[in-house]
Amino acid sequence: MRLRARIGDGAILLTAAATLGFLLYPAVVVFSGSMQTNETLFARNRFDLTWDNYRHIFDAGFGTYLSNSLAICLAATLAATVVSVMAAYVFSRRRFRWRRVLLTAVVAGQWFPWIVLVTPLFILFARTGLTNSYSGMILCYTAISIPFSVYLLLGYLETVPRELDEAAMVDGCTPLGALWHVVLPVMLPGVVATATYAFLLCWTEYLLALAFLTQPAMKTLPLGLYQFFGEDTTDWGAVMAGSAVTTLPALLLFLPLQRWLVSGLTAGSVKQ
Amino acid sequence: MMAPARRRTARADQVFVTLMLAPSLLILAAFYLYPMASNVWFSLTDLSLMKLRQGGAYIGLANYADALGGADFWRVVWNTAFWLTAVSVVVRLVLGMALALLLNSAALLRLRLRTLMRLALLVPWATPPIVAVAVWRWLLHPQAGGINRALLWLGLTRHPIAFLADTATVWPAIVLIMVWNTVPVATLTLLAALQSVPRELSEAAALDGAGSVRIFRHVTLPHIMPTIMILAMLMTFWTFNNFVYVWLATGAGPGRYTDVLATEVYLRGFVDFNLGSSAAIGVIMAVAMGTFGLLYVRVLGRRVAS
Amino acid sequence: MRLARALLAGVVAALIVWGSAARATDLTLRFNDPEVKQLRAALDVFEQQNPGIHVKLEQMPWADVMPQTLRETAVGTGPDVMHIAFVWTKDLAAAGALLPLDKYIAADGGSSDYIAMDLATGRDGHAYAVPWTVDCWTMVYRTDLLTQAGVTAIPRTWEELRAASLKVHQVTGKIGFGFPAGSGATNTMWFIANYYWWNHGKALVVSKPGGGFGLGLDQSDIAGAIRYFADYLKQGDSPKSMLAINNWGDPAIIEAMASGEQAIAIMPPANFRQIVAAWRARNPNAGDPPLLSAVMPTELPTSVVNFGGRSLGINANTQHPDAAWKLVQFLKSKPIFTDYYTSQFPARKSMLSTLNFAPGMQGYAQQLQNARSWGPYSDGPVPINTMWNATGRAFGSAFIGELSVDQASEQLLSVIRKGLQ
Repeated sequence: MRLRARIGDGAILLTAAATLGFLLYPAVVVFSGSMQTNETLFARNRFDLTWDNYRHIFDAGFGTYLSNSLAICLAATLAATVVSVMAAYVFSRRRFRWRRVLLTAVVAGQWFPWIVLVTPLFILFARTGLTNSYSGMILCYTAISIPFSVYLLLGYLETVPRELDEAAMVDGCTPLGALWHVVLPVMLPGVVATATYAFLLCWTEYLLALAFLTQPAMKTLPLGLYQFFGEDTTDWGAVMAGSAVTTLPALLLFLPLQRWLVSGLTAGSVKQ
Repeated sequence: MMAPARRRTARADQVFVTLMLAPSLLILAAFYLYPMASNVWFSLTDLSLMKLRQGGAYIGLANYADALGGADFWRVVWNTAFWLTAVSVVVRLVLGMALALLLNSAALLRLRLRTLMRLALLVPWATPPIVAVAVWRWLLHPQAGGINRALLWLGLTRHPIAFLADTATVWPAIVLIMVWNTVPVATLTLLAALQSVPRELSEAAALDGAGSVRIFRHVTLPHIMPTIMILAMLMTFWTFNNFVYVWLATGAGPGRYTDVLATEVYLRGFVDFNLGSSAAIGVIMAVAMGTFGLLYVRVLGRRVAS
Repeated sequence: MRLARALLAGVVAALIVWGSAARATDLTLRFNDPEVKQLRAALDVFEQQNPGIHVKLEQMPWADVMPQTLRETAVGTGPDVMHIAFVWTKDLAAAGALLPLDKYIAADGGSSDYIAMDLATGRDGHAYAVPWTVDCWTMVYRTDLLTQAGVTAIPRTWEELRAASLKVHQVTGKIGFGFPAGSGATNTMWFIANYYWWNHGKALVVSKPGGGFGLGLDQSDIAGAIRYFADYLKQGDSPKSMLAINNWGDPAIIEAMASGEQAIAIMPPANFRQIVAAWRARNPNAGDPPLLSAVMPTELPTSVVNFGGRSLGINANTQHPDAAWKLVQFLKSKPIFTDYYTSQFPARKSMLSTLNFAPGMQGYAQQLQNARSWGPYSDGPVPINTMWNATGRAFGSAFIGELSVDQASEQLLSVIRKGLQ
């Protein structure tokens, strides 16, 4: 019996090792590649370490792109989460005349690709002066995040018993108060998970950013990265360094939140 | 005495609902509804990016007829529905389930690897798709990529394989990239579902003499099936409409081999400058996903809007 | 008295500030090549020479410039001065994106010194851009590998090229003619295929004698080209991995040429210089590199390729056309090419003739004498982008065997035919 357990453990260990390799190897490649020159990247046996790629990308404006991305994405995530919590709450707690239609309309935002939005939105933005502006991008990203945020939050809210807010309201709370003081603390993991999704979506979006942000001072990280896939050639060293800089903040954001991410994800799909 | 208070509450409540819904509805109306309506209008015209200012002339359903009647169209639909969506969703569900089971296993806890594995899962998830494609294009590169170097060194192949250019390997390569980038979502969702299975049930089954496979099939799986179905639906929505992975990995090539609906939208609109045709494909995609969503939910017996 | 003087001083100061503010002009230049730093330095000099004009520098990946420009100009925005490809001028002019420049060019001494001025002229006969930089493609050879394989002469015809490539591969085991056979967004088969056709005396789009435009090729011409290039991949002297390469300057090709893994390539001068630099870095103190550029193989008396190049255009929506023209004049002056933007050749006959070509670059010098503009391709109704995309896809599909050669050539023909109607 102990031998079987040992072999079982051995198999698990091997599987775990293989899984870790699969998950982490590309990240290792990014970091090690970011410190090599274009030459050594392609040569077989040479390996010179250099920080030149990082210097090169920050020279090319990556610092600006980083701060732009942070500002736009944090603001959009906050806005989308707040607005989605509000909407999901009434979708969950109230039955009103247009509920079904409106909810379907909101969720329907997930059904089509965003590329089709680029041209009409560009015309709208250009006419209202929202191109090359933080507010334009924030509004845009908020809009894109709302459909799935409302859907996820609704699912999560369904698992929070209505008795909780009803009890709070009997005690004299306004509905808004009940949401803020009672329901929100309980659904916090769901909110965190949803906000994380929204953040990642905004952080990596590049089609809309490409059309609306043309001034170098306004560009975001994905645009900066994309620039290195040039017409004549690809600067792989810079691409690796840029990839590292683009991934690191998202990873650093996830680490402290990871416990909440797991419990927040299953939402209403686990408990009916 | 009570009646007037209730009436006031009812109206106040209506105001409350309206105020809570207004921000999201307004934002969606401006940034989603209006462009989508524009898009539907574009699809009924011959609008070209070259004549954006003049606008396009109404041509009815000609764009749709042209698209649906095209010889290539159904192959593109097949690429999108089967290779891009179905295969990748199934792979992610199966792999995600396996990883979730691994993470949930007692053995892993014993070996104290659970936290490390959970953290490792975050790395692919936090990687933006553009980075994921860039890294995997590098790994799959014929001359310099790690995978080819490993294959050559192990003697498994005599010449480097151009994964992203060889028709036999290009779709698996694209699916691999997508799976790497998004399997953590599936894994963590399924893990949470697994952890919500009441232990008494599986313990009781074990006492009755059931093996772990039996327990999984008859106790665990039914319990987490709703999660799996919802996850499958969400992944389908996200994948069917996806543009970035295919475009950055192969540019819909070689030839037109990996052309999917989203890349068609791009090619027609931004390379051929035919916005009308591009918009029509977008509408077709929305209708397809909408139909899928509504039917799926009805078949499941669960209502999205219940 | 003091109050009056203070008021007067205040008014004068206000007038000065208002006057200079009224004179201050903000221009935006969109420049899309990597030499951003050098250009910024040049723009600083421009600002010093023209106080009151501020120039902002923008950049965009080439693949996105055309759709973005069309969108922006349609809604009345966009940069004042734009860096555009030669072949886009006519289409952009037709879309109303560019300002006619006839009066400026006339006042500047006319257009006779510009290369490929016909491409910078709109379909209505007005000038819409100023040709800025020019380059062309040639063949590039590793002379040491050729010698090693017993190839004694630089190939003059396409058949000789085929034979040389095969021989190098068979004798030395290295790659022969490694051409980027990918069909992604920046496909290169468009150029290579057209060089093949032109140097057989034909062209895809031609002007018809009675007016209008037509096809200059039939199905067998296209099939012939496809078969020719597919043979390299079939016989292995161009490895199948080339199907994954979309850029003529892909590091894989540069590296292979620099390290001697590949004998023959095709590319513009900027990438040739990269190979030379890479070789020099690896072989310091070893004299001149065994790298030679030579004209495109041909069946005709002289070899023909296209002028590649970039122009500068002024946005039709610009608020400051005169200031924008000043900037254009500055950018096309000689010091820019000698001190700042040194990696490109100026699109000016007078300047080209005085240029010193580095060793190994004779091929480019020679080829530039015999380059032609796209002409009917650009004048005709089929958008360049569409032809570009369709050609790459057709060749790609045939290379991988997804379509038969005949099917692929028929597919390409039908796309062009449709566009010509």
